[in-house]
Amino acid sequence: MSAREKTGRKVDGDDARSEILARLEAAAPEPGEPFQRVPAPAMPDDPTSLLGARLGQNGGVLVTNASATDWPTHLDLPASPAAFAHVHCQAGTALPEHGVASRGVGLEAKAVHDLSPLDLCVLEAEFSVVENGASWHVPASALERGAALLAEHLVILTRRSRLVATLHQAYPRMTLGHTGFGWFLSGPSKTADIEQALVLGAHGPRTMHLVLLDD
Amino acid sequence: MGHVDRARDFVANTERTTWHDEVLWFVRAKRDAAADTLPEWEALRDEAAGIKRDVLGRLPELWRRFEQEATAAGATVHWARDAAEHNRIVHELLRTHDVKRVVKSKSMLTEECGLNPHLEAQGIEVVDTDLGERIVQLREEAPSHIIMPAIHLKRGEIGDLFHQEMGTPAGLDDPDELTAVARRDLRARFLAAEAGITGVNFAVAETGSFVVVTNEGNADLGTALPRLHIACVGLEKIVPTANDLAPFLRLLARSATGQPISTYTSHFRAPRADDGNGGPPPELHVVIVDNGRSRLLAEPAFREALACIRCGACLNTCPVYRRSGGHSYGSTVPGPIGSVLAPSQDPARHAELPHACSLCGSCSDVCPVRVPLHHQLLTWRSHLAESGHHPRRRRLAFRIAARVLSNAGLYDRATRAGRWIARRLPSRWLDRLGGPWTRSRALPSIPAESFHQALAAREEERP
Amino acid sequence: MSIALFVPCYVDQLKPRVGLAALDLLRAAGFDVEVLDGLPCCGQPLLTAGEERLARDVATRFVEGTRAFESVVTPSGSCASTLEIHGRRLVPDPPGGRARVVELTRFLSDNGALPSPPTEFPRRVGLHASCHALRELRQGTPSETREQARTDPAAALLREIPGLELVDLTRRDECCGFGGVFAVEEEAVSTRMGLDRLSDHRRGRAEVLTSTDVSCLLHLEGLARREGPPLEVLHVAEILAETHLGAGWLETNAIRGADGSR
Ligand code: SF4
Repeated sequence: MSAREKTGRKVDGDDARSEILARLEAAAPEPGEPFQRVPAPAMPDDPTSLLGARLGQNGGVLVTNASATDWPTHLDLPASPAAFAHVHCQAGTALPEHGVASRGVGLEAKAVHDLSPLDLCVLEAEFSVVENGASWHVPASALERGAALLAEHLVILTRRSRLVATLHQAYPRMTLGHTGFGWFLSGPSKTADIEQALVLGAHGPRTMHLVLLDD
Repeated sequence: MGHVDRARDFVANTERTTWHDEVLWFVRAKRDAAADTLPEWEALRDEAAGIKRDVLGRLPELWRRFEQEATAAGATVHWARDAAEHNRIVHELLRTHDVKRVVKSKSMLTEECGLNPHLEAQGIEVVDTDLGERIVQLREEAPSHIIMPAIHLKRGEIGDLFHQEMGTPAGLDDPDELTAVARRDLRARFLAAEAGITGVNFAVAETGSFVVVTNEGNADLGTALPRLHIACVGLEKIVPTANDLAPFLRLLARSATGQPISTYTSHFRAPRADDGNGGPPPELHVVIVDNGRSRLLAEPAFREALACIRCGACLNTCPVYRRSGGHSYGSTVPGPIGSVLAPSQDPARHAELPHACSLCGSCSDVCPVRVPLHHQLLTWRSHLAESGHHPRRRRLAFRIAARVLSNAGLYDRATRAGRWIARRLPSRWLDRLGGPWTRSRALPSIPAESFHQALAAREEERP
Repeated sequence: MSIALFVPCYVDQLKPRVGLAALDLLRAAGFDVEVLDGLPCCGQPLLTAGEERLARDVATRFVEGTRAFESVVTPSGSCASTLEIHGRRLVPDPPGGRARVVELTRFLSDNGALPSPPTEFPRRVGLHASCHALRELRQGTPSETREQARTDPAAALLREIPGLELVDLTRRDECCGFGGVFAVEEEAVSTRMGLDRLSDHRRGRAEVLTSTDVSCLLHLEGLARREGPPLEVLHVAEILAETHLGAGWLETNAIRGADGSR
């Protein structure tokens, strides 16, 4: 019998809330058996090659031999970054001498929507996870969050000192920042919904580079 | 028409069945390879199952905490007892925000609640943005798999659909090109949408945040662009702390497709930041839905099914699912987990589903959270029989069989007579009497003596 | 150790030689075996049909009738699993305890001193893993799990036979689609599952198909006889009897009317 039938008064949100909580109280089983936590696995011997392999499985490309001053020359893109009209760079990631700097409509964007189309987006990871190629990123603004999705090509910079072995080590390090949002980005946008054939660039970036920099 | 008939229709197309079986077996093989990469695989399953079992005993406490934290972060929390209430809440939110165009990312919960038809009836356009979901939406049919919604279709059929719906050249069936067309079409819809609806993979009590995972990034685009985000979450989806997410996210994508992780694993806590263009401030609404979940929780035999993280591995491994297709189940969620969940929603309609299973147990062994699926299916059979959902004649036949099997004399006489007759009937007749067994199988030739008779004879010969 | 042999109803009626093989093997291994009579069923067909109360009655009769024994051995993984996995839930221990029900190859490899060494069996053999032996009784490691490896006693016993080659399968433990009443009620899917298993074995050029479960074999044999090149179907116990109890055992023990040796 619903609350409405029982009391005859109009059902509002509070009724639903208390009724659901009461149902859950009534149905709750005895506390579960104690269980073992999986100890966080250690960093593998060769984190770089594992990271590259896992990222590759996700459709991303790991760049290992680049430096903080020349990494744009190591990207495998259809054109050099200097040729792109619309670029968004997270603060601190620009390299103007290689054509990597925010430009185009993004600079005057009034709404996230104005960023579309966008050729390139460069972000910096807070840390990256070796076991799966994912990089943790907290967008500084709504525009930055949108840029990472609307760009045709995504580049994420990360550092060797910021590698963690697995998600077990990742969660204790995470924040959601002041925007209340953060994400693991682990490759280009992809789908296999047509006959399980892998297609990169389902909705968002068609390529994703993770650039591993020395500290 | 039930599972048996729909499955027979599916199997009748031998080629399609072969393809469906092999493509899903391939996904299972990728899952196996992913499991091989983690020596702690079984321990992870234990941990994940342990967390879920612990959670089931603490749901009220955890949801209260979630509500408190999420509200503090600026989200609004709603509670829905059932599908109708859920649909009403979502519609009301869209109405008060004057929303006419919605983009939705994959959510089995909104599928279960029938949200799309409800909103469409009120004049709101709902676009499913996951490519597979979009395909089945355009075909006006249900997803046939919980993470590969269009796995029942071949590229030619999708090409024909796009030709009709999006004007692609006739005969175009290349997945790259078809995806590019869908991308262009959907990008415009993302940009035009006034609200985004998503499901939730995990809610975190301690932080009031929730996680949504996709490979396409459609949940992200659908929430990064519009100013209104509505997230619909089933009561079972909560974990106590953010650290608890680790085992689940390590298992989820590996179990689902063999990937080490999904492309986008997004953590939401507050309405999205304002982009400062002077519009109304963005809003985040979370709708917590019961719709039968508390009833399942009250059933000790079935409550562990609430641990399900919807990875789809039990579908991929199920030898019946692979050969009967998702639509044969006639339930929102197909496959082993669907056959466990559906009878609790509507026992009369889904009484047949627990029998669409050979009890091989592969599902229970593949499940990352150790739902004892095949034992639950077995238990359902007796629950449904006891509650009058099995045909009377069927039950009578088993009562007679039980009589014969529990009476040594009766068993002896009945089997002697049976074999005597069977050995004398022409095989054509026997095949007819064999019913469905002999449709595809030869009957074994019937021995003149049973084991016990042969043994007695032998012992007489050489005492 | 007091041991009983349980030959389930469908083996008793349709594949009597499998019962004889099990009995002769146990005796040859030095066990004083009593053959259960008047207890034809473990309750499995009733249980899987959803008739749990009827199944409980039948299983109770079985548990009561066998409590004097330490072990009940049976050439059926699925009957053993019914009694060990579900029977323990359905039927409480009688005072003084109950017999442990053990699948034959498990029993032989745990306790057995089979007359060895086995003689030659120069055939390519496809071993069909019984789901219930594998995933309920955990005889072997299911392909889904990453548990510590356990040996499948049936495979281990077959591997000791000179000349016998176990064929490699592409899907080593997929269900054959028998599933009790499933085989009849979901006939179309059951058939397709069985045909797929058969073609896997045929791809491996199996000459003999074997298993620890007669029920799987009845289904697969029925399908194989309707189409495709001939495939001899033997229970593991029959192969073990032929190779451990003297070549010719199969022929000597052929039962009139049965197609055991074809
Ligand atoms: S029941 Fe287990 S295997 Fe099936 S979808 Fe849920 S989590 Fe995955």
